[in-house]
Amino acid sequence: MTDLVGSVIVFIGAVFLFSAGLGMFRMPDALTRIHAGTKATTLGNTLVLVGIAIYEPDWSLKLLVIVYFVLMTNPISSHALAHAAYTLRGRLGASLFLADDAEREHGRGR
Amino acid sequence: MISHAVLVTGLLLLLIGIWGMLTQRDILRIIVGFALMGTGSHIVIVAVGYVANGTAPIIDGALTVTEAAERAVDPVPSALAVTAIVIGLAVTAVMLAFAIRLHAAKKTLSIDAFADSKW
Amino acid sequence: MRRAAIVGLLLALGVIFATVALNYRERTSLPPLAEAYVEMVPRELGALNVITGILLAYRAFDTLGEVAVLFMVAAGIGLLLGAGSKAGNAAELQREEPEPSTEIVRNGADIMVPLIALFAIYIVLHGHLGPGGGFQGGAVIASCVLLVLIAKPDYRVKLTQLSVMESLAGVSIVLVGIAGLVFAGGFLDSRVLPAGNFGSLVSAGAIPILSILLGTKVGCELSVIIERFRA
Repeated sequence: MTDLVGSVIVFIGAVFLFSAGLGMFRMPDALTRIHAGTKATTLGNTLVLVGIAIYEPDWSLKLLVIVYFVLMTNPISSHALAHAAYTLRGRLGASLFLADDAEREHGRGR
Repeated sequence: MISHAVLVTGLLLLLIGIWGMLTQRDILRIIVGFALMGTGSHIVIVAVGYVANGTAPIIDGALTVTEAAERAVDPVPSALAVTAIVIGLAVTAVMLAFAIRLHAAKKTLSIDAFADSKW
Repeated sequence: MRRAAIVGLLLALGVIFATVALNYRERTSLPPLAEAYVEMVPRELGALNVITGILLAYRAFDTLGEVAVLFMVAAGIGLLLGAGSKAGNAAELQREEPEPSTEIVRNGADIMVPLIALFAIYIVLHGHLGPGGGFQGGAVIASCVLLVLIAKPDYRVKLTQLSVMESLAGVSIVLVGIAGLVFAGGFLDSRVLPAGNFGSLVSAGAIPILSILLGTKVGCELSVIIERFRA
């Protein structure tokens, strides 16, 4: 029973990871690609690790530590990428902004 | 069964890497194709060394000293893969340095600008 | 014409790979060389990790060759992107004020850098007890330096000191090898130091010493390479 539940959760995580790749391929712009990449890969990684933890309960503490590290580092790294993409948007080609909050709050786009 | 799936994945990655290196026009995409080819070949090397129902060749709770000879996976391809990964990283670094110099020379990253003889 | 040649080449490769994949049968027992290694490493060297025993004791000369390749790559990148080359001078002239990093990245790096450094040292030291070793730990140290460079853009990696440390580590590896030649069986033999208790941290002869030297050398080399790629 736990085998079946664990395998189904790992499969759902794999579906999310596939949709992350598909989103990065089909999105038109750097910022939207980063958005697709980070949200779906973080959730996909977490679901795969939770599924393995249900499949083998002895490893659950180590897998919890790995989930903690993934949740700490994945959003920070994609924030650094998105900040770089926003700052360099003049050189890499302009993208469409409906409302530029960063420019309004911090001045010259920080 | 598992090693069949891993072997097919590695060979697919090799094919995709070779396709990318041959058809893309941007230098950075060619370098990504080379890295994919390297990763695919590492996976193929490790997958070939699998022994049925085996476990990793590290002696800990899962594998005792006396039964190591029956249940361990082949350690020699894994050692070769460690060496190959480090060399692949070094070659990718040199290729990226060349890409920077090429961009500094002609201000573009497409290899069509560097083709002296057409086919 | 070119397109047809590419498709033809890929089809031929696909046929070869399909033949390989279809005729593949899993092996049921180890080949004789692997069986000898798996049985000899815990008995003679006292190391639990068979792969590290192969890489740092039985095939240690190949590891020394790989260290030489990494050194050549660092020298080549120093030539291509260094301060004396055209790309280096052009970059120096137009190096503007580096964009400061945001608060999220700085706070995240404050938490993660000590953890990553500790994890890298753990991987290097426990190379003979579990998965790990010199190369793996050196790569993690370089990723820690990369995180510091992202969080503090005006931090300059000290190139001369790292180059000196890396060269000293390389020379020490060769000296350990010569000590193996003089005091034990052959070049880079790990039995210069006693094999110790099976499974404790200080065991397996000279393998932890070689792991530490390798980790230092690879970490310094990759950090120098990362620093040369800036601007």
